[in-house]
Amino acid sequence: MDERKRISTHYEKELQDIKQNLLYSGALTEKAIENVVASLLDRKSDLARQVIDGDKEIDKLDTEIEEQCIRLLALRQPIARDLRFITTAIKINGHLERIGDMAVNIAEKVLDLNEQPQLKPYIDLPRMAEIAREMIRGSLDAFVSENCELANRIRRMDSTIDSLNEQIFRELLTFMIEDTRTVHRALLIMQVSKNLERIADHAKGMADMVVYMVTGINVRHQWPGDPDDICEAKRVED
Amino acid sequence: MKGRLFFKIFGTYLAIAVLAIGIVGFLAGNQIRVKLEAQVENELMAYARIVDLYPMKEIQARVGEIARIAHARVTVIDRDGRIVAETDRDASMLGSHLERPEIQEARVRGRGTATRYSQTQREEMMYVALPIPKDQEIVGYIRLARPLVEVRKSIEEFTGILLRSFLILLISSAVVAFLFSRKLTSPIRDMEQLTEKLRKGEQPGSLMIRSSDEIGMLAQNINYMMEELQRRIAALQEEKAKVEAAFSSALDGVLILNRDGRIETRNQGMGSILGDRYGDIMGKTPLEAFRNLDLQRALDRYGRDHRPVTQEIELGEEERAVLDLSITPVKGYADAEEKTMLVFHDVTHLKKLERMRVDFVANVTHEIKTPLTAILGFVETLQEGAIEDRETAKKFLSTIARHAERLNRLVEDLLTISNAELGEMHFSFESVALSGIAQSVLQMIQRKAGEKKIKLTSAIPEDLPLIRADRDRLSQILINVLDNAVKFTPEGGQVTITASPEAASEVVVRIVDTGIGVPHDEISRLGERFYRVDKTRSRELGGTGLGLSIVKHLVAAHKGRVEIESRLGRGTTVSLYFPIS
Repeated sequence: MDERKRISTHYEKELQDIKQNLLYSGALTEKAIENVVASLLDRKSDLARQVIDGDKEIDKLDTEIEEQCIRLLALRQPIARDLRFITTAIKINGHLERIGDMAVNIAEKVLDLNEQPQLKPYIDLPRMAEIAREMIRGSLDAFVSENCELANRIRRMDSTIDSLNEQIFRELLTFMIEDTRTVHRALLIMQVSKNLERIADHAKGMADMVVYMVTGINVRHQWPGDPDDICEAKRVED
Repeated sequence: MKGRLFFKIFGTYLAIAVLAIGIVGFLAGNQIRVKLEAQVENELMAYARIVDLYPMKEIQARVGEIARIAHARVTVIDRDGRIVAETDRDASMLGSHLERPEIQEARVRGRGTATRYSQTQREEMMYVALPIPKDQEIVGYIRLARPLVEVRKSIEEFTGILLRSFLILLISSAVVAFLFSRKLTSPIRDMEQLTEKLRKGEQPGSLMIRSSDEIGMLAQNINYMMEELQRRIAALQEEKAKVEAAFSSALDGVLILNRDGRIETRNQGMGSILGDRYGDIMGKTPLEAFRNLDLQRALDRYGRDHRPVTQEIELGEEERAVLDLSITPVKGYADAEEKTMLVFHDVTHLKKLERMRVDFVANVTHEIKTPLTAILGFVETLQEGAIEDRETAKKFLSTIARHAERLNRLVEDLLTISNAELGEMHFSFESVALSGIAQSVLQMIQRKAGEKKIKLTSAIPEDLPLIRADRDRLSQILINVLDNAVKFTPEGGQVTITASPEAASEVVVRIVDTGIGVPHDEISRLGERFYRVDKTRSRELGGTGLGLSIVKHLVAAHKGRVEIESRLGRGTTVSLYFPIS
C-alpha cells in the first residue's frame, strides 16, 4: 500500500513536471512574440536577433517534454484520463515548437524591414500579436486547469485574427498598386501577418486538444466553432 | 463511560459475593445435613435399642405403639427376611427384606443404618436396623425408619437465608459500586471535560481538588499543567500576532511556496503590488500564476544552487511593476519540507525617478544644444564673409543675441530650480498685500497680452488678508503662471486673475484662461522639468520647459500648493494656495 502510494505520487509528480515544462515553453514563445513585435515597432533589431537565438531553448524544451511524455507512456502505460493528458501534452508541445519557429520567421522578416524606412504605422500587427499571445496563454491556462469553457472561448478568438490578417492584406495590396517601390516591404509585412495568423491557428489547435482532453470529443476539424454546450455534451468518465 | 467503570466495580463485588456465599452455602449446608442426619440416626437407634430389649413376640404385638412413641415406621422382619409386623400396611406385601443394606449391615455388624429414597414413602428415608437376639441367635430384625423431611426442610430454610442474604449483598454491592464509581469517575470526568475545553481552545478554568489521593494529585498536576500551557499558548499567540502583523502590514510583497513549489501564503503587500492583474494565485505554481520568464528563471536558479537569489523582475502587461525579488528558504523546516519565501520589493517608483533623472540630463543637453548650434552656425557664416554685408550681418547678430538670451534664460531657470531643490534659495518672508504685487505683474504682462488681443482682467479684493510671502518670488510665480496663460491662449481669448480667502488660513489665487488646455492624463506630468504637452509649439513660443516646475518649487517654499484643472480646448485654471500671514 505504502509502496503503491509512493509510486503514484511520483507518477503524479512526473505529470506535474510535464505541465510545468509546457507552461515554461509557453512563456518562452509568448516572450518571443512580444519581443519580435517590439523589435518591429521600436525598430530595435537586436531584440529580433534575441528571438532567433532564443529559439534554441524552445527546441531543447520541445525534445525534453517529448522524452518525458514517451517515457511516461512506456513505463506507466497510462489509461483513460492520463492517456488523454499525455497525448494532449505531446500535441501541445508540437504546437509550441512550431510557434517558436514562426516567431523566428517573423524575426527574420523584421530584421529585413528594420533596414528600410517604415512603410506605414503598425496598428493591426500589434493587435494580432496581442491576441495570439492571449490565445497561447489561454490555451495553456485551460490545459492546466482542464477548463473546457475557457478552451472554447480561445477557439473562437481565431476568427478575429483571421479577419485582421485579411484586413492587412487588403491594405498592403493598395500600397503595392499605388507604388511599386513598396512591394518588397509590403510582402515582408504580409509574411509577418501571415505568420502571426498561423501562430493563432496553432494556439487554436492547442485549445482543440484541451477540449478533447476534457470531453473526449475531437473538435479539430469542425468549423466555425461549436455550440457552446460541447463542454456539457459528454464528460468522459474515467 | 461512567457505566463501564460502574459495571467493573459492581461485577467485582458481585463475583466476590457469589464466591463467598457459594463456599459458605456448600460447606455449611453439608455440615448441617451431616449433623441432622446423625441426630435422627442416634434418636432412632436409641429407640431401636430400647425396643430390642423386648422379645420378638412382644415387639410384633406392639409395633403400633412403638411407632407412635418413636415417630417412626416400624418393621419387624423374621430371620428369613419376611415382614412379620409392619406399621405401614401397604409395605407388608413386599418380598424379602434380607437384601436391604441396613439389614445386611445389622446381621454382620450388629447394627445397620442406611439412607435412601423410599419408593413407598416417596421420600428420603433414614433406616436403622438391629437384630433381635434370642439365646445367642438372631431370630429377626427390628427396623425403624423415619423420613428425612426435617433435614430437607432445614436445608431448604438455610438455602433460603443464604439467597436472601445474597440478594441483600447484590443490592448493597450495586449501591456501593455506584457510589464508589461515581466518586472515582467524577473527578476524572471533570478532568476529561477540562482537557476537552482546552483542546477546543476555550477557557478551561481549573479543577476542584476533592481528595489527597492519587486522583487528587493528578488533578493538582493537571491544574499546574493547564496554567503552564495557557501561559505558553498566550505567549505563542502574542508572538504569532506580532509576526503576522509584521508579515501582513509589510509593504513588500511576500509569497511562501510549499515544497511542491505551489503558492501557500501571500501577504497584503503582495496583494497591493499585484492588484487584480493575476486573479487568484493561491495553490498555483508561480509559473502558472504569473507566466513570467524572469521569475521562473530566478526560481530555477534558486532550485539549482540552493542559495538565496536576488534579481530585478518586471510583472504585469501594461503598467509594469519593477520589483526587486529575493528568494530565500524559510528556516525551521526539515529539508524535505522546506518552504521557499519570495519577497518582492516594489521599485517601480525608484525606477521612474531614475528615468526622470536620465531624461533630465538628456533634456538639458538638448535644450542647450539647440541655441548653441544656431549661434555657432551664424558665427561661422559671419566668419566666412557674411560680416562684410552689413545688413545681413546685423540680422545675424540679432538672431545670435536672441539665442544667447534664450540660453541665458535657460541657465537662469536651471539655477533657480537647482537652488530651490537644494534648499539654498534665500527667502525674505514678510506680510504682503497680494493686490499690489498682482497689479505690477499685470502691467508687465499687459503688453504681451495686448499683442495677442487677449483681455486681461483682475478681480482681487482690496480687503484680502495679507499673505506670508517673499515679494520677488511671489512676482516670479505670478509672472510665470500669467505668462503661460497668455502664451497658450489664442488671439481674442481671455485671462482672469482672481483671489479669495480659502478656509481660515489660506488665500487662493486663481488664474483662469480660455486657452488650448491640457489633456486630462497629462495634468499630473505638468511641472516635471522640461515636460511639454506639445513640444514644438512650446519651443516656438520661447518656453524653456521649466516655468511651471519653478512655480511648483517656489510655491512649495511658501508652504503653499498648486492645483491645476484643465479641459482640452476650453482652458486651464491654475490655483495657487498661500498661507495667511
